[in-house]
Amino acid sequence: MFKKLIAIISALFISLSIVGCAPASEQKHIIVKDAWVRSSEYSAKAGGMTGIFGKFTNTTNETVTITGGTTDMAMMVQTHEVVDGMMQEKKGGIEIEPGETVTLEPGGLHIMIMGIAKPIVAGDKFEFTFVFKGADAQTLTLTAKDSAGGDETYNK
Amino acid sequence: MISRKGFLAGSASTAAGAVVASQIQSSADAEASQTVIGKRALEPHGVHQAGIELELQAFTRFIAFDVAEKITRQDLARWAGLITDDIERLTSGQPVLADPTEQFAGTPARLTVTVGFGPSLLKKLKTEAPKGFAELPAFKVDRLTPAYSDGDILIHVSADDPLTLFHASRALTRDTESFATLRWVQEGFANASGVTKPGHTQRNLMGQVDGTDNPAIGSEHFAKQVWISEGPDWAIGGTQLVLRRIKMNLDTWDRLSTDQKEGVIGRKLSNGAPLGGNQERDLPNFDAEDENGIKVIPPFAHIRKASGKPEQQFFRRPFNYEVPGEEAGMLWTAYCSNIENQYVPIQKTLDEGDLLNLWTTPVGSSVWIIPAGFTKGEVLASKLFA
Repeated sequence: MFKKLIAIISALFISLSIVGCAPASEQKHIIVKDAWVRSSEYSAKAGGMTGIFGKFTNTTNETVTITGGTTDMAMMVQTHEVVDGMMQEKKGGIEIEPGETVTLEPGGLHIMIMGIAKPIVAGDKFEFTFVFKGADAQTLTLTAKDSAGGDETYNK
Repeated sequence: MISRKGFLAGSASTAAGAVVASQIQSSADAEASQTVIGKRALEPHGVHQAGIELELQAFTRFIAFDVAEKITRQDLARWAGLITDDIERLTSGQPVLADPTEQFAGTPARLTVTVGFGPSLLKKLKTEAPKGFAELPAFKVDRLTPAYSDGDILIHVSADDPLTLFHASRALTRDTESFATLRWVQEGFANASGVTKPGHTQRNLMGQVDGTDNPAIGSEHFAKQVWISEGPDWAIGGTQLVLRRIKMNLDTWDRLSTDQKEGVIGRKLSNGAPLGGNQERDLPNFDAEDENGIKVIPPFAHIRKASGKPEQQFFRRPFNYEVPGEEAGMLWTAYCSNIENQYVPIQKTLDEGDLLNLWTTPVGSSVWIIPAGFTKGEVLASKLFA
């Protein structure tokens, strides 16, 4: 009986809190933290490529997928993974389970931009729109940093 | 070991529960007080840069870099953007962007980062130097090595924890090395946090109470003597720094008697009081003579030679250094609004006849313009690199 009462009260609170929230269109279902782009020899000239990284937290109750993104800075955007030290496209995107945080980092999961419009060097900033399946797209300013960590082998 | 939860559940009465709760609270308090040094965070924003008008932190690093001859203001603006973000994150205990060792963040431990530029950088940028800011003249006592002298960019990092200092220095160095090459690093130390009372004047490695005659932190006099109030807008609110690596010959110094040591400096070793005085803060009486007509503060005593006019006074924030088994001394600093008018005349007098010169040798020397501070949303030195 007591347990039931608690369940009812919590259900009430949950529905109240949903009502109290901002409209869904203004919600950021995915919290993106510390997004950055790597500057390296591969990004030092136009036409080059590089990786985008950051921490993505899924605050929804459904699985959300990072499918890629859009930017004026690049011809092509892909989601990638590194398997046995070899980088390859991760078809279908990068899934984030409800409540989970996925870290995109050098040597691991990342978003690859290819055919860059101009060189990307340390300290540069540009806008990038992250696109998700199951959540709204988000446009953020990325900062370029040199980073020695997690060198991948490129499949030629 | 009984878990807190299990123990609480087993308590028979609310009174017992309250006792346990208060025990848990006091153990939490004890834990908090044991880690308080790591948690102290200092504001990086303001009219002035952080790391100057405050009591010494326990550990410090001065890191100097050189940039390429062809560096542009745009390059330096990109560098400053990265460094500003790093400073804001690190001083609040956050990892920097793309931090390979983010686990070190979380203990800011009064971390401060102060950035300065050498005369050589201003020349490369073809920028006019603020008044009084130039390379120092040669002094007779100098035995300078390039290994500890000059440079284009200075990043001065201080903290109460050596791992915090290491992590911050490494992050700032990594991001600067995309634009510049490391020239030298000098590491220093002071008393650990919690060892002395606030406001206490620390001792240098010769054992002397050092820094008594400083403008008081937070005083109008400090502001007048230290902060730049005229010249290019990027420098207003900034200061000029003289950093000297002063090697001490402790072996010959330790052979002196207490009387001899006190005569060299002009202050008592016990409490730093001027000879003829009782308390550290007593003003030295340079005219006082003993019954034989001998000056109480000897003619060549350091404090007599170093006592300039009030308008020449500068702020010293000295750290000690030691290369164990090799060398010990002081990373001596003078912060002033005009090096030429304040520091140079006093150093010229010391160069001529300071008794202390017999036991000390400047082996490194550099001058730095410390630009104004920055507010949240602003980038460090953005007016210089615009």
